[in-house]
Amino acid sequence: MKLYISCDMEGTAAVCSWMQCDPSNTREYPVYRRYMSQEVRAAIDGARSAGVTGVLVNDSHWDMRNLLWDELPADVRVISGSRKPFSMTQGLDRDYAGAFFTGYHAKVGDADGVLAHTYTADVLYNVRINGTACSEALLNAAMAGYYGIPLLLVSGDRVVVEHVKEFIPQVTGVVVKDGIGHYSAASMTPRAAQDLLRDAAARAIREAAASKPFTFDSPVVMELDTARVEQADFIELMPGFERTGGRTVRFADDDYLTVFRAFVAAFRLGGAATAPA
Amino acid sequence: MNIYISCDMEGTAGVCSWQQVDARTPSPEYPMYQRYMTAEVLAAIDGARNAGAEHVFINDSHGPMRNLLLDDLPADVRILFGNRKPLSMTQGLDANFGGVFFTGYHGGIGDADATLSHTYTPSVVYAVRINGMRCSEATLNAGIAGYYGVPVLLITGDRVTVESAKEQMPWITGAVVKESIGHYSVDSISPRAAQELIREKAAEAVRNASHARPFVFEPPITMEIDLARVEQADLIELIPGFKRTGARQVRLRHDEYPVVFKAFVAAFRMGALADLPS
Repeated sequence: MKLYISCDMEGTAAVCSWMQCDPSNTREYPVYRRYMSQEVRAAIDGARSAGVTGVLVNDSHWDMRNLLWDELPADVRVISGSRKPFSMTQGLDRDYAGAFFTGYHAKVGDADGVLAHTYTADVLYNVRINGTACSEALLNAAMAGYYGIPLLLVSGDRVVVEHVKEFIPQVTGVVVKDGIGHYSAASMTPRAAQDLLRDAAARAIREAAASKPFTFDSPVVMELDTARVEQADFIELMPGFERTGGRTVRFADDDYLTVFRAFVAAFRLGGAATAPA
Repeated sequence: MNIYISCDMEGTAGVCSWQQVDARTPSPEYPMYQRYMTAEVLAAIDGARNAGAEHVFINDSHGPMRNLLLDDLPADVRILFGNRKPLSMTQGLDANFGGVFFTGYHGGIGDADATLSHTYTPSVVYAVRINGMRCSEATLNAGIAGYYGVPVLLITGDRVTVESAKEQMPWITGAVVKESIGHYSVDSISPRAAQELIREKAAEAVRNASHARPFVFEPPITMEIDLARVEQADLIELIPGFKRTGARQVRLRHDEYPVVFKAFVAAFRMGALADLPS
């Protein structure tokens, strides 16, 4: 059985500030980068103890080159670097039997979700697919689902885990902390979180047969509320996007892959509106 | 007849350097050429009105698109001022206009002996073709006018700009205000002489309007963009409808030219993002 891991950072145990997750921060980031890597390592170890063979890890945080190679087993593959067309879901295909999302965080607008955001907090105020408010976890789980792959495990704070369980009840959820507002957390220690992840990962693999791929029904209708009017100005230039409000755009297609790519295009182009005109 | 004027700056008489047309960084030369740009637009309006034009709509189409010295213009024109218009240099065009003027226009990207030649964003757009035709800004913008059934009547700029436009739109009246010597120098008539010439040519253009035809891209419309850099194509191919046709090339097909044009605007804006460090 081959396993795909998308690893983010904000949902790592003890993380509660952007400064811990910002690669330009030379004081805190190196510490939490190591914890992030160790949580990924724990998930891999647990999965392997339950029979997983091949592992692909997609570094999915910030500039997407966070993982410390030396903290990982020698025989995994890692996708490192940014601007991947499928971003946090790059490399997913039918070869994988399951997906893990580690270090994930709550969606933009969630209270008590530590560092809650959805892709680009500067641009996205809300993301809805077929009317459902979506986190990164849900958007990405549907990319796995597109290839028939179930999401087996999600780790992060309580809000993101419970959000995912609402839509994917069979998922193994690993709550490593409780958010207190946006910028603080009551957390397990990193070591305890790693132990918990190792056990949960093994259990998730053993119970994989009960899991189902998560998909959105076609036609897939995506609505984006942008943070600012001028971002919607840019996004509506793209073919297929319709301006449905001062700060809302809509895109629909039968194919979720097309919708997801359009989503990536939208938050990138929306980001360009931040520059002075 | 109502006239739509899209006014750029690089093709203004005397202009031969980016510093003269740089509205963003305080450039000591800019205010002077801003005045010449405005005077050429005023001359075009005067000429058009001498030949019977009524309402005039001006779309400031250069840089941040707020260059025109408003006090120098007649009180009864409308001006489109400011940046990030979805149809950019062609914003506001519709079937209510009898003709279009392009003033201060410049050569397309890659044109030799065309001062400051480029097509929208030179750091991104290496070449742009519609239905196989190499396009300058004049060509792309004329296509929007043509979509609404409006012909381009007048173009002013250097010789290459005017002659390329005449190849694609033989009915156009041209005012050649300078000969370019390479990219950064010109052999120019004086601003005052250029204004006289533009006044005459604008009148002539309006009088000859019945011979002019809308410039239309026939559907299905295929746009190909060659990018300056590979990483720009990486981002642009994410835009719905774009296909990656080469390492530095993307293509889009659509039957509606305004959709194609807006996709072009989205593409050059998106491409510029690739210049940020990854």
